[in-house]
Amino acid sequence: MSPTSTAGAKTRQDGAEGFTRRTVPLGRRLRRAAAPWLLLAPGLIVLGVLLLWPMLRVLNLSLQDYELRNLLRGDTDYVGLDNYIQVLTDPFLWKIVLPNTVGFAVVCVVLTMIVGTVVALFLNSLGTVWRSISTTAVMVAWAVPALTGTYIFVWLFDPQSGLVISTLDGLGIMEAGSYNWFTNRWTFYAIATINVVYHGFPFIAVTMLAGLMTVPQEHYEAAALDGASAWGRFWNVTVPTLRPIIAVCVILSTIWDFKVFVQIFLMPGGDGTTRSVMNLGVWSYTQSFAQGEYGMGSTIAVLLTALLVVISVVYIRTLMKEEEL
Amino acid sequence: MNRRTPASTAGKAIGVVVLMSLSLFPFYWMVSTAVDTSPLSRGASLLPSGFTLDHFRYVLVDAGFLRYVRVSVIVAVGTVVLSAIVALLAAVAVARFRFRLRTQVLIMVLMVQMVPLEALVIPLFLQARTLNMLNSLLGLIIVYLGFSLAFAIWNLRGFVAAVPRELEEAAYIDGASWFRMFRSVLLPLVAPGLVATSVFSFITAWNEFIFALTFMQDSSKYTVGVGLRTFFTQNTADWGSVMAASTIITLPVVIFFVLVQRNLAKGMTAGAVKG
Repeated sequence: MSPTSTAGAKTRQDGAEGFTRRTVPLGRRLRRAAAPWLLLAPGLIVLGVLLLWPMLRVLNLSLQDYELRNLLRGDTDYVGLDNYIQVLTDPFLWKIVLPNTVGFAVVCVVLTMIVGTVVALFLNSLGTVWRSISTTAVMVAWAVPALTGTYIFVWLFDPQSGLVISTLDGLGIMEAGSYNWFTNRWTFYAIATINVVYHGFPFIAVTMLAGLMTVPQEHYEAAALDGASAWGRFWNVTVPTLRPIIAVCVILSTIWDFKVFVQIFLMPGGDGTTRSVMNLGVWSYTQSFAQGEYGMGSTIAVLLTALLVVISVVYIRTLMKEEEL
Repeated sequence: MNRRTPASTAGKAIGVVVLMSLSLFPFYWMVSTAVDTSPLSRGASLLPSGFTLDHFRYVLVDAGFLRYVRVSVIVAVGTVVLSAIVALLAAVAVARFRFRLRTQVLIMVLMVQMVPLEALVIPLFLQARTLNMLNSLLGLIIVYLGFSLAFAIWNLRGFVAAVPRELEEAAYIDGASWFRMFRSVLLPLVAPGLVATSVFSFITAWNEFIFALTFMQDSSKYTVGVGLRTFFTQNTADWGSVMAASTIITLPVVIFFVLVQRNLAKGMTAGAVKG
């Protein structure tokens, strides 16, 4: 606190004796330069110790054959890139885990963006009162935690007495208890997709709505005068104006959907017991905490992080380029 | 856009109904299952087959869910308090000072939010084990501080920057010290931002699952998220209890979130400086 108080004191003194002394003494200048760093210090230490340092440690662990006994004995067992070779040559990665991670994320991002944009356009067309009421309803969907939201969808799709099977049973399409959706890779991920899109669309809708409300009405009127259809106005006025916001929405949902963990882990069989539904996050976690292979788990975690970094960089390059240049 | 034909009004009315029912349906289904007398035989009926608070009574009294609520509240409040103090200091630094590496610090604050928790859980678990911090509420609070801090700094920065410098200067001219200015001018004006940021930190800590699952192995230290799993047995789930417990977890989050989100955009210094 004290450094900033000197900054405050300085302002007052300058008012009083600004005529007599023009140069600020060296000591005070130094204190003023140190002030932001002293204020930042606790935050930077926390971020460094809890986020940056563990990232370095996970990189280090990924090069070791590390199990709990290594921790207890405090020794290390560096194996070079062996873990990476083992993971990258494992058909399980290419046939199951990577398609589950990438395919699921792509579908979720596309669906979330479409639903979010449609909802935003719709909200933007409403009057103030109904927009505010509908936005609040959308906020509720956003606020339901991923944890409990997942259980709600598991209950809705419960194979014995859930709402969906009861409805299908009532219509005579499917008998209750005749099929467990959670054991099939495709139906498992279909349910997970509904869950993730439901949880993710409100952010896109609210963010896009904020953007839509800043587009000058004159632009639409000018386009309408030029004979543009509603669809044409959307592509030629809305999309170019909102390009930076769309870019941010796509990047953030991609990052979120690639590292989906809770929504998969908490579904029946999602915690690693049904191997055909594993994604990178769950694989890394079960390798570490169910198998005790912390080195191998770290390797998978590093690959997941690398994937996220590559995607973010590529996205930022392609989506932001026109804004930058 | 400005057409007001009966057809478009009817279309919008249908749209509002569809949007609202789809958005609220899972929430409704959770609450209505929690008060249903026999949720497993409810089938496809939209209304519960009867009203009862037995599931809530069972969950809170017999199953000891209140214990998990207590742990979660302690952890979340601890996270909120620490995160608000540390983030406010950092936010003042980046919003009120121009210094070398300022941009780099801001970019770093943004970037660390991309780090997947799955990658952090392994090294932090091993570290906590070495330090005997497993099953420790303090250990969990420290970890959550790390996750909520980056967003809190980023969020508060905007609120601090929005306070006009003229107000601070006016306080100095009136003879206030820095502390007096901070307490009487900056803090009240940043308060709404502090509340909003704190609510998000609270939600982050309250909702977190991976670290709570990994760190808290002693059932007396379970958080609400981990405690919820105790209502599942091998192949069956007592859905009435699960949904009652889920309601207890979800309700505070939904209320906080909706309240804060509405006030977040309100200009808190509007009218403070005459234009």
